Amino acid sequence: MIENFLLGSSALFGDPYTLAIFVFGVLGGMLFGAIPGVSMLTLAAILLPFTASLTPAQGVMLFAVIYCTGTYGGAITAILFNIPGAPENAPTAFDGYPMTRKGLAGKAVGAAVLCSAIGGVASALVMMAATEPLAKWAIRNIGPPEIFALVFFGLAVASSVGGRTIWKGWMSVALGLIIATIGQDPVGGIDRFNFGFSDLAAGIAFVPAILGFFAVSEIFVQAEKTARGRYEAPPVNMEFPSFFELWQQKIAVIRSVFVGFFCGILPGIGATLAAFMGYGEAVRWSKNKESFGKGNIEGVISSETANNAATGAAMIPLLALGLPGGALTAMMVAVFQMHDLEPGPLVFYNSPDLIWVVFAAMFYANLSILFIGILETKTILYLLKIPFQFLAPLILLLASIGSYIGRGLVLDVMVMFGAGIIGFLLRRSGYSIPGIVLGIILGKIGEQNFAQGMQMVHYDLFDYLSRPVCLILIIAGTLTLASGLHKAFKANPA
Amino acid sequence: MGNLKNSHLIEGTIWLTIVLVFFAFTYDFNQPIEIYKFGATGWPRVILGILLFVTLGNLFHQYRFGSAAQSGRVGISDDDDEADGTTSIGAVLKIIAVLGTPFLYALSLKPAGFYFATPFFIVFIILLFGERRPRWIISITLLIYALLLFLFMMVLNAPLPQGNVSPFYDYSAFILRMNSQFQQLDLW
Repeated sequence: MIENFLLGSSALFGDPYTLAIFVFGVLGGMLFGAIPGVSMLTLAAILLPFTASLTPAQGVMLFAVIYCTGTYGGAITAILFNIPGAPENAPTAFDGYPMTRKGLAGKAVGAAVLCSAIGGVASALVMMAATEPLAKWAIRNIGPPEIFALVFFGLAVASSVGGRTIWKGWMSVALGLIIATIGQDPVGGIDRFNFGFSDLAAGIAFVPAILGFFAVSEIFVQAEKTARGRYEAPPVNMEFPSFFELWQQKIAVIRSVFVGFFCGILPGIGATLAAFMGYGEAVRWSKNKESFGKGNIEGVISSETANNAATGAAMIPLLALGLPGGALTAMMVAVFQMHDLEPGPLVFYNSPDLIWVVFAAMFYANLSILFIGILETKTILYLLKIPFQFLAPLILLLASIGSYIGRGLVLDVMVMFGAGIIGFLLRRSGYSIPGIVLGIILGKIGEQNFAQGMQMVHYDLFDYLSRPVCLILIIAGTLTLASGLHKAFKANPA
Repeated sequence: MGNLKNSHLIEGTIWLTIVLVFFAFTYDFNQPIEIYKFGATGWPRVILGILLFVTLGNLFHQYRFGSAAQSGRVGISDDDDEADGTTSIGAVLKIIAVLGTPFLYALSLKPAGFYFATPFFIVFIILLFGERRPRWIISITLLIYALLLFLFMMVLNAPLPQGNVSPFYDYSAFILRMNSQFQQLDLW
């Protein structure tokens, strides 16, 4: 493995053109990841036609690097402005933004930089060592029933985070799930809840909903504070987390690497659920649960470690089996096909040089997050010094454009502002915005895999639960819900 | 009535209305799917059932404890509890204006287009956030407008709404024509 890694590294650094593409991917991923709504997918889509003029190794490597650094890039705006650059950065905002409000933006961004790098590097190392056996295990043991069980568990955990009461946490998740049913049903393609708008046949897109619930509702909250004379600009602090502070979080980092890696292997789940589950598990195991959502650095660390740990894992089903786990890995399949290659087990034998250049590039891309991220942080924190009355229109317009360019629909901009108003009102009433967002994101995945899973087991519940991964996850999710229900009926006001 | 207040009843009524309206609409697409036993309505109806159950649970909780937060809840931001406190009529109007302006902007995008409507939107938002110095308002508006045009029109070539009503459409066409002429200059 080490010999192959060194060969991959020398191919990467030995050719100036390949190195230039690597640097472009690192910087481009960070930049596009940080622009709300635009995301690394936009950059990848723009670059896709140009990869035809690159070698297969350069093309796939470029996309892999964008995937790593883009996943980190969205954390910056999530922490500074409560605007997640991508869905996988949404949980980072839960504690990152409150830290910014407390004048601890430097610590939050520093933790995100370091933990994204750790999660990504750890994931890249496991990917190098175990791609083939892990892919074989996943293909044998993971199918639609298991993915539904994981979604169920993820939602059960999410409902326990946020919301003034557990009932409000559950209502938030249920609202997200019902919003996710708008559009065509995933089995028969029948239009549901379109209320006479043909544009709604394609459903509610994630990006406008996320931007509305997080970014726009935040602008409205700050506008309310301004109107009531209670707005205070967040103090700017460049202080990074100390080694001791980070060392205290070592267990959270290790746990999130495992959670992120496991979620990343599963097709269609990827970094988003990884980040939410990393955050949820951090809350579950913390002795100081009440501090989450109020600026606990462990929240930032857990979600950023988990989402970057998912990036390396997502390459496993792609490279070993030819199964893309998400939109960006699907574009990588297109890059392979443009060069008359098929990702899958044979790539390891036919093009080992390609595989190891990609592995090495992902390893170094995650390392570069650390160095470039620290330099970037020192400059980007100055954005907080811009008066909010000038920042607010910029944020609203970036969010509007980000919502619009996904599908070219003005309806998406209205959905975003509608989500912003609903989010603003629900936040005031103690509902959980993260719960709604996760419900929207996982609703469609959950329904699709439930339908496929039920067809696979011929609607036999015992057959379904005889699958070990399903049984474990369903029991864990049910226990989480039962514990919540027990607490709800025994509830005492805080 | 226990600790139930009118606001709780209104809140509960809104949720129950959502459940009822969505449930009624499920009959619009209540068709069987040959390969799937539960059809297109199965999943949404189960979720609506869950939503009904948790809404009633929430009302029961409010009946017992009012609006108080449950002990041991996690992930509740300090910023999320702003409902209390008094607000002047001026402040309420300002909040309504801030909530309404983006909607008006979104509605104007189809007829007036992004290129025409955006500068006005920037000015309104800056004013609503309390800035009154004309020099700052104009310069920041131009700066944000130029930044967005550079990034999304010139760099990304993003297709933004152009409007469908004259003279707004003509203005958008003028901006886009300028952009294409500028790009043909081949400055590199």
